[in-house]
Amino acid sequence: MSEVRDKKIDIKWIGVVAVLFGILLLANHGNELLKQLVITPLSAAELGIPADCRADELEEENISLLECRLMVANVQITLASSPDWFRPVMLLLASLGSLFAVLSVYVGISLFSHSKTKPLLVKICFGALLSTDLLMFIAASNTGPLLRAHYLSSILLWLFVHATLFSAVIVGLNREPKGID
Amino acid sequence: MGKQLPRSRSIIHWLIAISVVFLFVSSWWMLSLPLPSENFTYRQLPFQLHKNIGITVLVFVFCMLAFKIFDKEPPVQSNKTRLQKLASLDHLLTYLLLVVSCISGYLSSSYSGWETTLWWLVDLPSWSEENDDLNVLFSNIHLWTCWALLAVVALHVSAALYHAFKNDGIVDKMFRL
Repeated sequence: MSEVRDKKIDIKWIGVVAVLFGILLLANHGNELLKQLVITPLSAAELGIPADCRADELEEENISLLECRLMVANVQITLASSPDWFRPVMLLLASLGSLFAVLSVYVGISLFSHSKTKPLLVKICFGALLSTDLLMFIAASNTGPLLRAHYLSSILLWLFVHATLFSAVIVGLNREPKGID
Repeated sequence: MGKQLPRSRSIIHWLIAISVVFLFVSSWWMLSLPLPSENFTYRQLPFQLHKNIGITVLVFVFCMLAFKIFDKEPPVQSNKTRLQKLASLDHLLTYLLLVVSCISGYLSSSYSGWETTLWWLVDLPSWSEENDDLNVLFSNIHLWTCWALLAVVALHVSAALYHAFKNDGIVDKMFRL
């Protein structure tokens, strides 16, 4: 009794959404990459060097002495709850994620403008984004509770966004009678 | 229907978009890093990168404005609708806020005494000696123009989505590589 409603998925819409999320994702992965490059093991915070909180700096930044000290504690939290493998894995995944995010912006623009894009490239792009999210989720869920609290909700959100886009692309491309040329 | 823009303008538009979103996200987390000192150098790379991207955005904005001035565009309609007037105002504000936020950020950094080396290659001139009052002033201008920029960018994106889903051809000129 099931009836498939033949409502067309407009591939142009997927393109617009892919561009928008691609730009946000690139900022997200780019900053994660930067964070992993900056917060390194055996740096000042991990060596227990006390925070340098000068009164003039506190006034300039409009923060309290406690906040200044907690900024160092924040770095200590990241370092203390990261297993040895976590930093290289996140560096790799954030780099791959950035590349795929750039690709998704390109693919999104191509889908919108109906320029010649190979359907396989579109599927690979969104599949790769989904796989990266999945690997990041697995990596983050194998750290301590402090990092899990920091990472898991945003990764889960991206996972759902990319799962939705991937499904839409698969259905949309299969319904396009002449591909997307 | 919108006329297709030159590829260069479309590419610069997307580069500005990517850079601005990256700058917003980076500014939110890099200010949570420990204050800089001899031992704590966590802020060095993110701040340098933030300034480099910001200055590059300013160059891109001037390129866009130059393209807008020198490209032969159809004459502006005299009887604009309310939405068209709002779109023109949003574009004008976006350019203005981009320029002011980039310049105020650079001046704030300059008055704070931190040197700026553009992409680790060219030392940019410092405008004066360290001056805390001017640093705070330009820092506040930078902060508030950035929040305003976020608001006009949100409006710009909402309008782009509206036209894209309406499929009226308005945004087609920017969706090309």
